[in-house]
Amino acid sequence: MIYLDSAATSLLKPQCVGEAMAAAMGRCASPGRGSHESARLAAEVCWDCRCAAAELFHVASEEQVVFTMNATHAINLAIHSLVGPGDRVVISGWEHNAVVRPLHARGAVIDVAAAPLFDREGTLEAFARRLSGARAAVCTHVSNVFGFILPIYDIARLCKAAGVPLIVDAAQSAGVLPLDFQRLDCAFAAMPGHKGLMGPQGTGLLLCHGETKPLLFGGSGSLSRERDMPAFLPDRLEAGTQNVPGIAGLLEGIRYVQSTGVEQIERCERSQLRLFAAELGDSVGQLMLSPDPSLQSGVLSLLPRDIDCEEAAELLGQGGVAVRAGLHCAPLAHESAGTLRSGTVRFSFSPRLRRDDVLLGAKYTKEILGK
Amino acid sequence: MSVLILMRSLTYAQRGQRVLFRLGITSEVRKAPLGSSDRGCTYALRVGERDLRLALSVLREARLEYGKVIQKDRDGNYREVEQ
Repeated sequence: MIYLDSAATSLLKPQCVGEAMAAAMGRCASPGRGSHESARLAAEVCWDCRCAAAELFHVASEEQVVFTMNATHAINLAIHSLVGPGDRVVISGWEHNAVVRPLHARGAVIDVAAAPLFDREGTLEAFARRLSGARAAVCTHVSNVFGFILPIYDIARLCKAAGVPLIVDAAQSAGVLPLDFQRLDCAFAAMPGHKGLMGPQGTGLLLCHGETKPLLFGGSGSLSRERDMPAFLPDRLEAGTQNVPGIAGLLEGIRYVQSTGVEQIERCERSQLRLFAAELGDSVGQLMLSPDPSLQSGVLSLLPRDIDCEEAAELLGQGGVAVRAGLHCAPLAHESAGTLRSGTVRFSFSPRLRRDDVLLGAKYTKEILGK
Repeated sequence: MSVLILMRSLTYAQRGQRVLFRLGITSEVRKAPLGSSDRGCTYALRVGERDLRLALSVLREARLEYGKVIQKDRDGNYREVEQ
């Protein structure tokens, strides 16, 4: 199988990730609870993972690195901390349901800073027009449908100037593009462990700078006589037993990203996308390619010609090419791009792919969908 | 003889341990005796008695807040140590 669905989850993980998880299963007990060796080992794994994440993302303190179940959980935590009913929240036109649904559920007024696809300046202008008086802003770093890299640092600067706390959805950029939390100076950055960070499913991170409100209440291993969750991080947002085998795997994934180099990963995925697009051309439909390669990460959507996108994805799957089709849990992004009715077939790349995989993927796609 | 420097949480104690380690002070992250805090479970850094003064200075320098400093006496009870 040629796996071109890393934007969903990174299937082709370094071997050390699974090995670390298996080792943790047999050796790590619950961190922050017991005093015995297995509890201490678990605590060390968690600490090492926080340190690695803090280093990768330039976070001032390890305590600001909170473990979550996934990016959706992290985003929900961030939104819960900042947004109340009736609050106006500015978002980009490329947000995932992980952003739109919790905002909707909290009764927020969602104000979309609409701008055309791959239009950096338009995006900035749209945000600038709307930020004044907003309660918060949420912006994805990279669109999970189109790979559009939003000007997140400039958006963060605008938010700072307007006094609006910003939540960054780094689901598609963590481990793929450089992400400097200190330089961003935003309130929160949310990310999954299981995509670009090469960790297992069931892991995620929330980098915190702002005020936080717990979503889950329970044991934290600290101040147990108090009825309220502790006021300090990470305990405040980490009720219950953590997914230690998952965190052990995530630690190895982050180490892989660090040793490979994020810039190298970025170059690799971008070059794979361009190679794939050059091979495929317009043979089976319209590729949604940015005219400026620097505005697109390793995610590429195709509007297939003469076939429903889900049917196309099924045929590709049967032919050994793994992709994702439909609305990608991001109907807002499709609405913004004008693809809400058709959906798209999405191809996404990975440093774990070889050049031959990419070429074969393009070849099979041409053969399967060209019939 | 060792002493326990109470810290607010496991992660905070781990942070303190690292800071101390960088300055050559060996410490151990331990669960603090239950009676040491009236707020319930907490963590501590165990350091040698000789290292205490320097350790506290290092933690203060790093702006890491600590709670009581306690030590087990001959009767096996924990008493607060003058800082």
